[in-house]
Amino acid sequence: MKALILSAFGGENLFPFTSSRPKAMLPIANTNFLESTLIKIKDTGIKDVVIVIGKFGEQIVDHFGTGERIGLTIQYVRQDKPTGIRDAILMTKSFFDDEYFMLVYPDSCSSGNIFTNVLDIFSSSGKPVAAITHTNRAEDFGTVFLNTDLSIKKVVEKPSKKEIANYVLSGAFILPKSFFEILSEMEMDESLNSLVSSSGLLSAIWEQGWLDPQWPWELLNANKMLMDNWNVANVDTSVQLRGSIQFRGPVVIERNVIIENGTSISGPCFIGKDSYVGNGVLIRPYTSIGPNSVIGFGVELKNCILMGNSRVGRLSFIGDSVVGEKTEFGSGTMTLNQAQEKSVRVLMPSRIEDTGLDKLGALIGDSCKIGASNTFAPGTILPAESTVPPFITFPKGSN
Amino acid sequence: MCGIAGIVSSSDISKRLLQSITSLEYRGYDSCGMATNSNGSIEVRKNVGTVESVNLKEQFLEMSGCVGIAHTRWATHGDVTQKNAHPHTDSKNQLALVHNGIISNYNELRENLIENGIKFYSDTDSEVIGHLISFLMEKEELDLESSFVKVLSKIEGSFALAVISVNVPETILCAKQGSPLSIGLGEGTNFIGSDFNAFLPFTQSSIILDDGEYALVNERECVVKTTKTCKTIKKKVTEIPWEATMSDRGAFSHYMLKEIYDQPSTIKAALEIPRKELSDFANFINSSSECFIAGVGTTFYIASLGQYFFNEYSDSFMPAISTDEFVHLVKPRPESSLIVISQSGETFDTLNAVEYAKKNSVKTGGIVNVIGSTLVRSVDKCIMQGAGPEVSVISTKAALSQSVILLLIALELSLLRKKINEKKVKEIRTQVLAVTDLVSETLDERSGFFHSFAQKHLKMRNWIFVGRGIYYPIALECALKMKEVTYLHAEGMSAGFLKHGTISLIDENVNTVALIPPKEQEDLYNLTLNSIQEIRARGGFVLGIRFSDEGFPKDLLSDEIILPSVSIFQAPFLHLLSGQLLSYYMAVGLKRNVDRPRSLAKSVTVA
Repeated sequence: MKALILSAFGGENLFPFTSSRPKAMLPIANTNFLESTLIKIKDTGIKDVVIVIGKFGEQIVDHFGTGERIGLTIQYVRQDKPTGIRDAILMTKSFFDDEYFMLVYPDSCSSGNIFTNVLDIFSSSGKPVAAITHTNRAEDFGTVFLNTDLSIKKVVEKPSKKEIANYVLSGAFILPKSFFEILSEMEMDESLNSLVSSSGLLSAIWEQGWLDPQWPWELLNANKMLMDNWNVANVDTSVQLRGSIQFRGPVVIERNVIIENGTSISGPCFIGKDSYVGNGVLIRPYTSIGPNSVIGFGVELKNCILMGNSRVGRLSFIGDSVVGEKTEFGSGTMTLNQAQEKSVRVLMPSRIEDTGLDKLGALIGDSCKIGASNTFAPGTILPAESTVPPFITFPKGSN
Repeated sequence: MCGIAGIVSSSDISKRLLQSITSLEYRGYDSCGMATNSNGSIEVRKNVGTVESVNLKEQFLEMSGCVGIAHTRWATHGDVTQKNAHPHTDSKNQLALVHNGIISNYNELRENLIENGIKFYSDTDSEVIGHLISFLMEKEELDLESSFVKVLSKIEGSFALAVISVNVPETILCAKQGSPLSIGLGEGTNFIGSDFNAFLPFTQSSIILDDGEYALVNERECVVKTTKTCKTIKKKVTEIPWEATMSDRGAFSHYMLKEIYDQPSTIKAALEIPRKELSDFANFINSSSECFIAGVGTTFYIASLGQYFFNEYSDSFMPAISTDEFVHLVKPRPESSLIVISQSGETFDTLNAVEYAKKNSVKTGGIVNVIGSTLVRSVDKCIMQGAGPEVSVISTKAALSQSVILLLIALELSLLRKKINEKKVKEIRTQVLAVTDLVSETLDERSGFFHSFAQKHLKMRNWIFVGRGIYYPIALECALKMKEVTYLHAEGMSAGFLKHGTISLIDENVNTVALIPPKEQEDLYNLTLNSIQEIRARGGFVLGIRFSDEGFPKDLLSDEIILPSVSIFQAPFLHLLSGQLLSYYMAVGLKRNVDRPRSLAKSVTVA
């Protein structure tokens, strides 16, 4: 069986991080959404994968190539315009000869292997299967109604009722080849319903964690979900520990990292290759530091993603925050992370969004330059390539 | 509580036998093992753990042979160790046996055998049986069957046991006293099992063995004899109405969830019980001067719920009593009656209460799910639930079905006593039928609210469930569900009782779940809201589970889950469902062993 992965468009709400990369390539923990998906697919025994790429698709091709590194054979199909999932699927028809194929939306993440679950139910029933799960926002997803034997009664793409909490489609299907024909005549949700009435569509309930981030701050939840599955520490033998360094929990450190004396690291957390961590740094759980980063003396990091090539100047605090690639913080940068009111609100490009979180720091895009001594209010968003001058208190007005 | 299984066939049995004990695993799951009779010798493989994990270690499928027995254990005598796992053999490895139950005089028998130079390998009571059979065969020059029968007369206590031996290689010998044992009749293959689940995928024809009987089972036939006279007796063949697939988990991740989803059909099955059976049962209650209604664990709370139905509709107070206390609390008079509720029909405490009642000439009635179980055969009058097999240790669909049946009986009693008319009975029955759609709607459209709430509160270790009136026993049942499947501290109580002491527990470390009645039940509704206010005034967190009623006070609750709007006849069943869903999603979030919680077994058949 081959798998079809749709990675062309989507994730517009994940501003500012998707303005320079596809949603599927967003870094979380020690991986990204697509890589984590591909590894799980490989673990099910599937060997051939077709990926539909679109905006920034070359990043995907550069990163995964032929798929050899992961142990898959990957073919790419380019979708030039965001004309929808239906078009993306139909473009790939000629790649699929087997009776059934697996369809995957790769920009969600799950703790555990959701694809194995789907395949198990397929192999014991021989019928089309859709993975379903619970989420806090059923209205944002394709919701399903079930018969008492867990076969799907109907799929409703945009439920009219607001107050619902159905199981939702969670981006993994086993579909018959005939689905291409059905889809050529109607929309995705109608096609699934047509499958329900013709051959039947079984559901595979996924009870473990599942998350499809719709907002940038939800990347932190995805990061946490993956790290919560870690139960061993893994420090590369090339890592240099210069002095007394304290480790606790599942700490994952890649090659050529240098860590100076007096640093304390509590897992789960990740430090990418070729990074430098200075003296007396405190790294708390759920911190992911991308490759080639420099963390200065006395910095405190907590529940945050630094996507890589990051510089954090001395005596800074970055907590509950997401930071794009190649962003530099001058010394003494503070991200305030405690809501002043009930929950933190974020000024997104089109509207103000209530995050429902009592703790959230800053969301800072790629290639920003932040001068020393700045303080970010909870929920601050900074577009890519922003420059913030240092905050100088004397003489006033000087920069 | 253990599960035993056996197969005699013309071809290799290891794969089918493994399937059998897997289906019986809910009866006990601390260790398991298999023995086959192959080429004139007995092979035993056994170890500690679930069937799946033991199979990984021991590779049961490598075992050859057309005759075999298997066991899945829930320890009563002796620790959970490999040597204490079944099957046990005799010293010469000539025979193997599996046993469910307790041999009460095993110490005496054991010492006697030790004096005669027999070496014991385990700390179990069961091992003595095998040694004793071999010992008598040798000492008294008996054949296997005679020795087996002689041993049956020597051992005391309760047992269901099966023996294979190199002396009679094509046969399984089995017997029962107090513990259940059934024989499955296939084509060219026969089966034995603690219950039908052991052989349901292979055959639906069964003989239920009674106390004082033993059987010789080979691939062609099954001969049942009495232990006393060794005379062959003719037994009735029961056709099991359950489809084999009904025991299967299908696409559900846990049996508990599957059985929650089974509930619309379970309610329908309860409504399909002939009115005549229900009215006979009502007559049975009506003809006694006092009637007790009893169960233990969940069924006690269902009995307590029934108490409210009987009081409401037929104006009769029928005390609900936990069967484990029945003998200590009740001095029954001959004109009284006892109704007991049990899913398995094998619950020790409940059987004990029935026995005590019968000794005192009290008439007994039962509401039971498992066909052919001991309880069904013990009581004077029985209603079969028809809820289908319940595999998860956590009772959901059986409990809901029992509560529906109690309501239906209460209605018949009410009709009999002319408190209501036939039209009203029909109307209420129609409303109960509509509960099936309400359950489906709640599962489809609202289960996610329970999931989200559970995800937010996984760290909360203390829970109090409150309700008033008929919702009080439901609060007790919800708390029991929460306890047994999540291992968290949960207690249920009437909302009115709370302020007489327990309210001092309320702080940020306790979540209260309030079961709010529909607004139509104005008194209960207002009383419940007052109690919620008292908890909130002390800074307590209250999740209100309420129906979609207009004008519910804003900001009274810390969080809420809204169920579809219902009538007062339907509300209790939806609150039962709420407790199941909340407990289930909490347990899944906490990564508990949902279908087999620690320390629990499906039916408790020991004191």
